[in-house]
Amino acid sequence: MARPSAEKTPSVYLYIPNLIGYFRIIINFIAFAVCYSNRVLFAILYFFSFFCDGLDGWFARKFNQASTFGAVLDMVTDRVSTACLLALLSQFYRPGLVFLVLLGLDITSHWFQMYSSFLSGKTSHKDVKDTGNWLLKLYYGHRPFMAFCCVASEVLYIILFLFADEKSTSLLNVCRGILKQSPLTVIVFLSTLVGWALKQVINVIQMKTAADACVVFDLKRDK
Amino acid sequence: MAWMVGLHASLTKGQCILQPEIISWFTLLFPRVSTACLLALLSQFYRPGLVFLMLLGLDITSHWFQMYSSFLSGKTSHKDVKDTGNWLLKLYYGHRPFMAFCCVASEVLYIILFLFADEKSTSLLNVCRGILKQNPLTVIMFISTLVGWALKQVINVIQMKTAADACVAFDLKRSK
Repeated sequence: MARPSAEKTPSVYLYIPNLIGYFRIIINFIAFAVCYSNRVLFAILYFFSFFCDGLDGWFARKFNQASTFGAVLDMVTDRVSTACLLALLSQFYRPGLVFLVLLGLDITSHWFQMYSSFLSGKTSHKDVKDTGNWLLKLYYGHRPFMAFCCVASEVLYIILFLFADEKSTSLLNVCRGILKQSPLTVIVFLSTLVGWALKQVINVIQMKTAADACVVFDLKRDK
Repeated sequence: MAWMVGLHASLTKGQCILQPEIISWFTLLFPRVSTACLLALLSQFYRPGLVFLMLLGLDITSHWFQMYSSFLSGKTSHKDVKDTGNWLLKLYYGHRPFMAFCCVASEVLYIILFLFADEKSTSLLNVCRGILKQNPLTVIMFISTLVGWALKQVINVIQMKTAADACVAFDLKRSK
C-alpha cells in the first residue's frame, strides 16, 4: 500500500469515505445473502447501502478526503449492486431477458461514458454540461432530477422484487397486481416507472454521445 | 439461449487472443456484459446462486479498476502490464497462450455448468458430482476448466489490488 512520507495522514485505503465504501459492500453482501429468506430485510439493507452512497461523498468533501480510488470504488459498487439486483430479478421472472438487457445497458452506458470522459480529459462523468443533448443537459445540470431518476430506477427494481410471486414468473401479472394496491402504492409505482424510463433513455443517449466522442477523438488524433 | 452462449464464447476468445489497440477497451466491454449475463443466467439455475453473483461482481470490479488505472498511467491496452511486480500477472500477460487458457477455461466452465444444470435440483455441488461421473474426457475437461477458472479469479483479485494501488499512487503524484 502506498503511504505518504513524513506525514501522519492515513492511507487512502483508510479514508473515511472509503471505509464507508467498504461498509456499503459488506451491507450488500449481507443483503444478497438474506434476499430469499427475508425480502423486506434485503430491501432495507439495499436502501441503506444506497443511502450511504450519498453519505460518502459528503464525508469526502467535509474531510477533504476525495480520492481517485474512492471515486472508482463508488462507481464500481453502484454498478455491481445494480447488476446483482437485476440478476436477482431475472431469477424471479425467469428467464428475465428484460433484466439482462437492462444489466447490459447499465454497464455499457457507464463504461462508454467513463471511457469518453477520459478521452476528453474530464474528471467526472457527471461534468457533461457542454453536451448537445437537452435531456443530458437537464440530467447533469439539475442534481435533483438526476437523483430522482437514479433513485426511481432502484426503487422500481425493489418494488418488482418485493411483489414478485413464487408461483408466477410473469412480469406483466405482477405489475397488474401492483396497480390493484392502495393509491399511494400505485402513485409510487408509476412515479418510479417514469423515473426509470427517463434513466434508461438517458443511458442510451449517453452511450451514443460517448461513442461519438470516441470517434471524434480518433479523427482528431489522425489529423 | 444457445446463440448467446455461442456469441459470448466467440467474443471472449477474440478478446483474449487478438491484440487490438485502442479498440481493446471496447472488446473489454462486450465480454464483461456477456459474462455478466451468463453468470446471471447461472444464478437462475442455481438459485440464489450467490457464488455467481460474487463472480459477476469480481469480474466487473477487477476489469473496471484495471481499465481506470490503465487510463491514469496512459497505457493503451490493459494487457500492457509487463512492468508489474506480481509474478502471476507477469506470467498471465507475458504469455498469451496462458492468458487464453485462463480466459477460455473460465467461460467454458460456466457453459459446462449451464449445460449440465438440472431443472429439478438447484444444488451446484450435486451438478458437479454428476459431471465427475461422466466419461473420462468430460471429467478431464471439467477439471482443466476448473483450474483455469481458479487461476483467472486469483488474477482478477491481484489485478484489482494492483490497479487500486495505481489509483492511490496517481493521487500521490498529482498532489506533489
